[in-house]
Amino acid sequence: MREKGLKVINRDRCIGCLSCMYACTRKLRGLGGTGKSAMRVRAYSGTEGAFSIRVCSRCTSPDCAAACPTGALTTAGGGGVRLDREKCISCGACVKACTIAALQWDEEEGVPIPCIFCGQCVQYCPNDVIAMVERADQEGGDGSAE
Amino acid sequence: MQSRILFVDLSSGITRVEEDRALFSDLLGGTAVATELLARHGNAEIDPLSPLAPVIFAIGPFSALYPAATKTVALFRSPLTGELGESHAGGRFAAALRETGIDALVITGASDRPVFLHIDGQEAEICSAGTFWGQSAPATDRILREALEKKGRKLSAVRIGPAGERLSPMACATVDSSRHFGRLGLGAVMGSKKLKAIAVSGKGSVAITDPKAYGSVYQTLFDRVVRSDEMKKYHQLGTPANVLPLNAIRGLPTRNFTQGFFENASRISGEAFLEEVNVQHIACAHCPCGCIQVAELREKFAPAHYSTVRVSYDYEPIFAVGTQLSISTPQEILRLIAFIEKQGWDCMSMGNTLAWATEAFLSGAIGEVETEGLSLSFGDTRSYLEAMQRISSWKGEFFRDLEKGTAFCASKYGVKDFAMHYGGLEPAGYLTGENAVMTWIAGVRHSHLDDHGYSLDQKLLVKDSPLEEQVRMQVEEAQWRMVLNSLVICLFARGVYDAQIIADGLGALGLEWTQERLKKFGAETLKAKYRLKKSYGFDPKKITIPEKMFNVRTSTGFLDRERMSRRLDLFLEYAGIG
Repeated sequence: MREKGLKVINRDRCIGCLSCMYACTRKLRGLGGTGKSAMRVRAYSGTEGAFSIRVCSRCTSPDCAAACPTGALTTAGGGGVRLDREKCISCGACVKACTIAALQWDEEEGVPIPCIFCGQCVQYCPNDVIAMVERADQEGGDGSAE
Repeated sequence: MQSRILFVDLSSGITRVEEDRALFSDLLGGTAVATELLARHGNAEIDPLSPLAPVIFAIGPFSALYPAATKTVALFRSPLTGELGESHAGGRFAAALRETGIDALVITGASDRPVFLHIDGQEAEICSAGTFWGQSAPATDRILREALEKKGRKLSAVRIGPAGERLSPMACATVDSSRHFGRLGLGAVMGSKKLKAIAVSGKGSVAITDPKAYGSVYQTLFDRVVRSDEMKKYHQLGTPANVLPLNAIRGLPTRNFTQGFFENASRISGEAFLEEVNVQHIACAHCPCGCIQVAELREKFAPAHYSTVRVSYDYEPIFAVGTQLSISTPQEILRLIAFIEKQGWDCMSMGNTLAWATEAFLSGAIGEVETEGLSLSFGDTRSYLEAMQRISSWKGEFFRDLEKGTAFCASKYGVKDFAMHYGGLEPAGYLTGENAVMTWIAGVRHSHLDDHGYSLDQKLLVKDSPLEEQVRMQVEEAQWRMVLNSLVICLFARGVYDAQIIADGLGALGLEWTQERLKKFGAETLKAKYRLKKSYGFDPKKITIPEKMFNVRTSTGFLDRERMSRRLDLFLEYAGIG
């Protein structure tokens, strides 16, 4: 069976409530707010009601890990990345390397926030905008991801 | 535990943060904290538009932590009424502020040049707004987002439009996507300080005392907001769901409160808007309900060419520029709302004032000399757009006066009998009866949301109850809402936030509040608010009910002078604020 990953399946249904980001911070870290969320939703400026939702692609050969100069961020089994906090020097190269801006940065601790694909964010979306799906091969998707 | 207050002095440009744990532990947050801060930093000698006048913003212990705790409270002295100005807004402001770690803002002074306040994490900076002073409220939002938005950060922008810059006492402050500190003229107060906008970039987390209990309370609230019937109405049609039910009971104010029935209500109902122009619902940050209704207004501007803008609509704007002006299509209502959004007026005050102007014109109390040839008629969208164009370009004395509100115009032009205002504030869209009118007289912000007067009226249609009982329920609700507005939750979620879950929710955050303490706190906060209002000269017994209201049939019949007087006496007695 293939690994599961996150996917934005109904971007146009997003209402911008950020319940997903609050869930990530709350359920994984026991904290309030959105500051520890491993994914993000934000409004496109100037376009009312258009939201950009970015979730980790669970790459098998992640650009973020390749950009890490200290080996703190490494490819996890089944794709995605793991962080060794001892090795992280807070340079931010990983976040810059993620072109789709899915890898989030913890401003309080100065470290990236790798997604662990637990699916908690999906549980709190009121409109089925995101889903846990079997991960497609990285080479060529079906074009439905947004 | 909340404690941090950001003080901003726009005259000197100095900002500082002070901790005041006692303030938040005693008063929760929101409206109670803001009331105390305004009492501390303002006084009755200060004119609402003086540089000395303070503006307070406050969030509460539930902000960014529980679903639908989305509101921020603003307190100031109102340039529209001269007494307490209080307005609440949603959007992302509360969530962004919480993530910066700032729980209240106290802004005083005035800049000599246009500025905006940028709160970025723990830092606050006063920046030049010279390049976009004069821009519309929506344009200012776009400008700030492009200039300030950073990766992954939550940006909230509160800004004024040209109306606030002109010091119109009905100017609002707009928050993010069409949410507003709508009522009582915060926009003019910001304008008088040359403060074009407040932008908050927040990204942080909030430590939780008892994460397990927190998770449990959160889950209960989330399920209630998303799945229970309490918020279904808001989730589906949003506030415009009120149009048809109110019309059915003849409680939908029409053509300047002439009657409670609008013959074309079915064409501008929540259902009609949804079918014809709605394109999306959006939400305030941390509200999975998502009641904000967004419509698309498509207009032909040249052969084969269209322009399209998105306009948010709610029940009150539909009443204010729809039924009040006898406008019968969603498209025309959206055109009027879009104009008002750009200028940054309070839609409710502007709609009511235009309705007054129309009745004054049609009755001959004012004529074409005053309107400089413009003929005002109910139902005439083009005239209303032209009138607002003249107001916004300051053409003609009469039009300049219109943005000063109904009370000012009625007094200046000597047409008071059908001037719909209570102590200077134009009313919300309810012609349901005496309980609703009581809210406008005795409510702390003279808003229909201060208690449930309009709802009590509607219940009377099903089952009568003694007058004393009605007033007692109204007072208890007004007191309870002091608790909700201190937390600060959206009042649309009042049905899901009962006393038990609030006590549990506070407990998870390490704040020990019993249900009894909450109720006592609500009653005390109402009294504190009244003390502040009285210091500004407010006396509910001096508020005159518009004469027209005694000659109009409401859902529950005609208003009775003696009964209204008795209601007020009882209200003050029960609330202990006589």
